[in-house]
Amino acid sequence: MRTRKRKRTLVVAALAAIGLVAVACTSSSSDAGSPSGSAGGSGAPIELTMWHGYGKVIDNQGQTNYEAKSLTDLVDEYDAMNTGIHVNLDYIGSNDNALTKLTVALNAGEPPDITYQYGTSMPQLATAPGIVDLTDKVQDPTFNWSDFSQGAQQAATVDGHVYGVPALIDNLAIVYNKDLFQQAGVSPPTANWTWDDFVAAAKALTDPSKQQYGFAFPIDASEDTTWHYDAMLWEGGGDILNADNTQAAFNSDAGVQALTTLQQMAVTDKSVFLDQQNSGKIQQLFNAGNIGMLVTGPWDLSSLPDVNYGVQIMPSYPGGSHATIAGPDMWVMFDNNGHGDAAWQFMQWLTAAQQVKADSMESGHLPIRNSVVDEPGFLKAFDAKFPGEGLFAQNLANVTKARPVITTYDQISRIMAEAIVKVMLGQGDPKTSLDDAANQVNQVLGGG
Amino acid sequence: MATVAAGPHRGAPGFARRALTSDHLAGWLFVLPAVFLVALFSIFPIIWGFILSMQKASLLSPSRPFVGFDNYTHIANDPLARQAAVNAVYYTCLFVPISIIIALFLAIALNQKIRLIRFYRLAVFIPVAVSTIATGVMFMWVFDANFGLANWALGGVGLGPFGWFDSVSGAMPSLVIMTVWGWLGFDAIIYLAALQGVPHELVEAAAVDGASRWTIFRHVTLPLLGPATLLLVVWSTISAVQLFDEVFFITRGGPLGRTSVPVYYIYRLAFTSSYGFSAAGYAAALAYVLFVVILILTLVQFWLGNRVVHYSS
Repeated sequence: MRTRKRKRTLVVAALAAIGLVAVACTSSSSDAGSPSGSAGGSGAPIELTMWHGYGKVIDNQGQTNYEAKSLTDLVDEYDAMNTGIHVNLDYIGSNDNALTKLTVALNAGEPPDITYQYGTSMPQLATAPGIVDLTDKVQDPTFNWSDFSQGAQQAATVDGHVYGVPALIDNLAIVYNKDLFQQAGVSPPTANWTWDDFVAAAKALTDPSKQQYGFAFPIDASEDTTWHYDAMLWEGGGDILNADNTQAAFNSDAGVQALTTLQQMAVTDKSVFLDQQNSGKIQQLFNAGNIGMLVTGPWDLSSLPDVNYGVQIMPSYPGGSHATIAGPDMWVMFDNNGHGDAAWQFMQWLTAAQQVKADSMESGHLPIRNSVVDEPGFLKAFDAKFPGEGLFAQNLANVTKARPVITTYDQISRIMAEAIVKVMLGQGDPKTSLDDAANQVNQVLGGG
Repeated sequence: MATVAAGPHRGAPGFARRALTSDHLAGWLFVLPAVFLVALFSIFPIIWGFILSMQKASLLSPSRPFVGFDNYTHIANDPLARQAAVNAVYYTCLFVPISIIIALFLAIALNQKIRLIRFYRLAVFIPVAVSTIATGVMFMWVFDANFGLANWALGGVGLGPFGWFDSVSGAMPSLVIMTVWGWLGFDAIIYLAALQGVPHELVEAAAVDGASRWTIFRHVTLPLLGPATLLLVVWSTISAVQLFDEVFFITRGGPLGRTSVPVYYIYRLAFTSSYGFSAAGYAAALAYVLFVVILILTLVQFWLGNRVVHYSS
């Protein structure tokens, strides 16, 4: 009958449509997103996926991003060596989201082979499925693990296991506007400065009529807030936690002293530009000549082309030191389809002294290996190409302490940051706020 | 008795045969891909989310111990959840009435046959089409406490510099201003359509009876706008309680937690380690509670609305 034939045609058409859609969906999902291809037949190179957050080699303004360029050049160099391993570099966006992106990928069962992660993420990553445990691998004498900066080694190690290879190290120091100091008739920072000198200079450099501030500080209650404070805490001889990481120690006299200094500048002198959004405004304002001093790292120097800047080590407190804080970041590897060994092989090459030196000279990164810093002539050449970075490289020697490498660190950081921001906004006093924060931290440490 | 010409010596056709040739089957098969997508992206996550809310879970590790309803009871003891709820109420109570009232007057103004009216209507709707992030970037500049347009303009008439997003008490009102600006066009278009559905004869009849313009508006137009108002109240409330983009991009819950709204708190719990690694289950529980709250709010609004609103046939 004609109607039945028409119905049958409709049914067949519907089934065909579904079939097409199903084929289209499954084939596209198996093409996209599979990070490491099959180990292929003989002769096909092992494909590794490597995630980084340095940016695109040519950014949106047409400028060359030398960090990205340096890494890309190194990967291309490795590729030309025809080792049978091919590395696919992938810029995945800001490193702030690196952990989130990795979380999503892990939940999809498709992590990259190598990824750049913040050192503070290491405790959490230690529990991620498939992560390569490097403890034995790094003992290889040719790798020379002890050549890496002390703070970097500590950050890579969780509970005695090494999970990352240091990718980047930096530290905080004073970056100041020489012209503003001269105009105000204030003597620029010296290696013997105390925080009292710093506060006085900030006050002298502040001029509300010109929208000019002596200092700037991020108060977005992120780790950026906390680690600026940590440096001051250590300079006063204090510690974040006690020796076995069971109790908060930052509400000591040294801690209160540091926060009082910040309160003095923010609330009383109003000599600090407080940045709530922390999205680059501080750097722009410094570059425009509105800020006298920053406490920042070498990564910011390339954003300050219009300023005649100087670099100086951190101030100290009486009886303390000029200690500074470093933020080592890591390359972390995942064993996908048995490619863990290939990833390690590439990583050994990438972090060998020769490549570290090449990367430093190209990108302005501080060398992650001490042997490179100590190489004769290196510091001079480095500072000549990247003015001011010579001091940052030397300042690595002042990195004597590290933030606790424990799983609860991010919570501790948040609690401390909230207390710091509260005081700097004039909503609390240092002693009470720090004691309150210490109580919360002790709860977290106690397994709350 | 069915006599189907299916051939001799056969009874009624079997179930499979009937199914494969029925009208319904073809329809269902065509709809199947869409049903599949909805099931995959809506129903499955909803069910999985509920399971997650009963676990102490980290999205990064496979260990997910079952904790029953502990996550739900913890909500009652969590001061940050309470703060998020208070912030949501504060924001909603400002956003919904302000945006609807302004939109109503905007729609009345747009309901005229003057020259360039099409341009004005377009101009009013453009903020809705602009992405929340782009709006955020713009308002971060306008509301910048030191170098922003708003303080510069207000300073010109002698009004002191405001902190806007940086101010502890002013951050939420600043968010309200920004989001009202972004959504006005949507509400106004809805009202405009409703206004144009008001029968002219009613208005004319009232005018003939000697009613003033305000009386006409109050007793003829406004009641007939009832359904549109109800829709906008429900819609605005639902989207106000789910505020996220602007908080994530600009204030990040600050300063001092004054703009920490529920969805932002849930995001930080589940996707950052600021509250520990295993807070994803708790976040899912909060999300479910939020869903129930919105559902109840919506039902109450509809119930109240149906008692008050007149639906013209």
